[in-house]
Amino acid sequence: MNLTKLTVFHLLLAISVLLCSQIIDAQTIISGTVKQKNGSPIYGANIYIDGAYDGATSGEDGKFNFTTSENGVQTLVISFVSFETYIMAADVTQMKDLKVILKDDVNSLETVVISAGSFSAGDNSKVSVLKPLDVVTTASALGDFVGALQTLPGTTTVAEDGRLFVRGGEAEETQIFIDGLRVFTPYTPTTNNTPTRGRYSPFLFDGITFSTGGYSAEFGQALSSVLLLNTIDEPDQEKTEIAIMTVGVGLGNTQKFTPKKESNFNQGSSISVNATYINLAPYIALFPDRNDWQKPFETFSGETVYRQKMYNGLLKVYAAFDNTNFQLTQEDINLPEGFNFKLNNSNFYTNANYTASLENDWKIFAGASYTIGKNKLGLQKDNLENTENSAHFKLKARKKFSNRVKLSVGVEQFSTDFDETFAATEFISDYGYVNNITAAYVEADFIFSQKLALKAGIREEYSALFNQFTFSPRLSFAYKTGKNSQVSLAYGDFYQQPNSDILKFNSNLEAQKTQHCIFNYQYSANNRILRAEAYYKDYKNLVTFSNSLPTFGDNFNNGGNGYATGLDIFWRDNESIKNVDYWVSYSYLDTERFYRNYPKQAAPPFANTHNISVIGKYWIDDWKSQIGFSYQYASGRTYTDLNIQGFLNSKTKDFNSVSLNWAYLLSQQKILYFSVNNPFGFKNINGYQYADAADANGNFNRRSLRPAADQFFFIGFFWTISEKGTDNQLNNL
Amino acid sequence: MKNVFIYIIIAFVGSIVNAQETNISEDKAELSKYQQGMKKAFSLWEEGKSNEAANIFERISAAEPENWLPPFYVSQINIFASFSEKDQTQVKLQLDKALQFLNEAKTRSKENAEILVLEAQYYTAWIVQDGMQYGMKYSPKVVALYQKASIIASDNPHVLLGKIEWEMGSAKYFGKPTDVYCSELKRAVALFDTFKPEGEFYPTGGKEYAEKVVFENCKTE
Repeated sequence: MNLTKLTVFHLLLAISVLLCSQIIDAQTIISGTVKQKNGSPIYGANIYIDGAYDGATSGEDGKFNFTTSENGVQTLVISFVSFETYIMAADVTQMKDLKVILKDDVNSLETVVISAGSFSAGDNSKVSVLKPLDVVTTASALGDFVGALQTLPGTTTVAEDGRLFVRGGEAEETQIFIDGLRVFTPYTPTTNNTPTRGRYSPFLFDGITFSTGGYSAEFGQALSSVLLLNTIDEPDQEKTEIAIMTVGVGLGNTQKFTPKKESNFNQGSSISVNATYINLAPYIALFPDRNDWQKPFETFSGETVYRQKMYNGLLKVYAAFDNTNFQLTQEDINLPEGFNFKLNNSNFYTNANYTASLENDWKIFAGASYTIGKNKLGLQKDNLENTENSAHFKLKARKKFSNRVKLSVGVEQFSTDFDETFAATEFISDYGYVNNITAAYVEADFIFSQKLALKAGIREEYSALFNQFTFSPRLSFAYKTGKNSQVSLAYGDFYQQPNSDILKFNSNLEAQKTQHCIFNYQYSANNRILRAEAYYKDYKNLVTFSNSLPTFGDNFNNGGNGYATGLDIFWRDNESIKNVDYWVSYSYLDTERFYRNYPKQAAPPFANTHNISVIGKYWIDDWKSQIGFSYQYASGRTYTDLNIQGFLNSKTKDFNSVSLNWAYLLSQQKILYFSVNNPFGFKNINGYQYADAADANGNFNRRSLRPAADQFFFIGFFWTISEKGTDNQLNNL
Repeated sequence: MKNVFIYIIIAFVGSIVNAQETNISEDKAELSKYQQGMKKAFSLWEEGKSNEAANIFERISAAEPENWLPPFYVSQINIFASFSEKDQTQVKLQLDKALQFLNEAKTRSKENAEILVLEAQYYTAWIVQDGMQYGMKYSPKVVALYQKASIIASDNPHVLLGKIEWEMGSAKYFGKPTDVYCSELKRAVALFDTFKPEGEFYPTGGKEYAEKVVFENCKTE
């Protein structure tokens, strides 16, 4: 061995020793234990130095250790599902024998949700009582979202009306919003013995929240309830839909566009268009009803939704137009030849909004809605024409400070211009009003732990018409009592202006007020939900007047009041019986009010004491069919019997109705649908009309108010044509 | 309605072994940290230690903020794990985690057929869990995702296999003949032979599973 070789050898040795020692020096051992708050170890947590490859998985005892070649200050990350990710910045030499307790992740499904007052539909919500498709698969709903909601507790059955009557409130005490923007005329016009329907197609919505009280400060001008409908953000695919029904036809088309060159302004868009024509003439010719139709119900409606992704946000524009006309003569006890009624209604609604996520966890929303509704009514020989122009503008922002604290603020403006002309043989009268309401709200959400959450908000409104400020506090909190159960409490003040029937004659009034107190218990596990809710609602400043209907020159004032209290129970189960999904709702309601021309406080005719709904759906695989069943029971409603002393002194007999439906999948693309309402022919009575004058014996004759038809049949054929014939009608089941 | 989707259930679990043919030459002693990490994760996954494998992919995902593969595999492991999980709460947690990393992969690589297939598998997992609740809602999404993927990569065997299996499931359910799908299924098997992953650690597995599907559905010939 010569010198050179030796030297080289030594040098190499020296270098390798040096290198080794350096490596040994640089290797730091990181160790510790990961536990839950209750002290039990977490197995399988991921522990690592952020941005480096060094890390380990905790063992069954929660212990971990690994070596890292990083040095200096580093970030240690510990993550595990359903826990908040733990982050620690320190010098690696300090990361020894760490004792880390992971905090519960309050975003996880285990976290308590504020459930008092509100029902959610849609798979985004943690506990959904109704699914969006229930609207079209519930036998009694006939494809109407309002009909589906009437199977939930808290609503009362007012069969001839069809609108939502919530917890002793009138129908106009419920406000409907599409994508957070108010819908001013949500219901189709109808005669007084035929229930109305929601104007808008259920297929446009993928989320429905129905709140029967105690709702967020974001919503105002609703004394009893709000219904929030959210349109679909992005359609799944391009398709054409054809509907052929016993009452009319429908056609729909959806197109998606991918921009050739993606820009911030256009990151993809889509458009859906639907058109429906309904004409009841052939049906009424086959199955005549109690009305004498000169011009059977005919309506044309079209709607379109355009969506465009832009600047990390989404722009949605929705527009709907419909025109309805009919003329008929209805039985009337005071008019032997009957009462002739003619209607022509046209309604246009549009809604545009933009939502975007900004930096620093800010989210913004800007939107506006506009409605123009025109009615031409013929009442015997008199004519009534009115036009409503209404708009809603809204701006809101939400900041997420952390997973546990969120703040929302918003401002909004409602404007209505209402004009009416009444033309009788002898005179013409013109009247109307302009109503502007400005509102602002602030609301904060606090999630203290997976067990306790609080939402607190305030809302301030100013009415230019009344020159009145109102201030509404809202508060709700939820506490988890067990793995699958929780309780919630809610309190709130709510203001709403009297409706246009009153405002058109007198605007020297104030807003009407309710206060809600709600206690809710909820249990949910394994596709079963039990929900029980007790509430008390106090009414103040209800409008009183002296004639049976609001009239010009009457003495209007805010001297009315009332209360509603009750218990709502809901049970849904799609687990216990194979292929069966069912739910049961029960509502108990005790309510009285002093308003309108009531001589004393009394239970109004639209509020009955007991309501029960039972809905079932059974899937028969061999038949490719879903059979649906629904039963509704409502105890009697009050009316005034003129032949005995008193006011609202009697009750009608109980209401019963069964509906059946059958959806049959012919193929992936085609579905055949049958439904029948009241197949057993229950003879329901909604109330009585008394003669204006007594007969020779001093007796007031009366006529029972019956539905236009006791039964209703429907057959429809629905066909979806998608690009490659692969979309399927399961979607519509 | 669960039965509707029984047919549509894709029995991935057998096919998951993402047999990563280690196309890295072993003699090349100097594997990068990334390569070492990925190899380790795949070998743990093959040993059945999928949780630990997912943890490693998660770490690599944090260290390689541009690379879509690590979050892709975190998501895939969680999706596959949910198929065999009985506890519903656990399933939801797994799928939420899968979605989080799926979204991460999507932001790192746009218009990626493999990620589209994974997203279709994500929705399929919900359908398998609760066909009655999610089948109606998610099946059009699945169809649309496979369609989009097949436009981007018509010769990717993962895309073709997933798409054909899904369509065959629906056809079976409606009592329609499924033999029309056999030629496409066989084409998928053949594609596995010629399929060249675009890069190291890209998804490659699934041929054996494809052969099994062909064997079960196309007995003749």
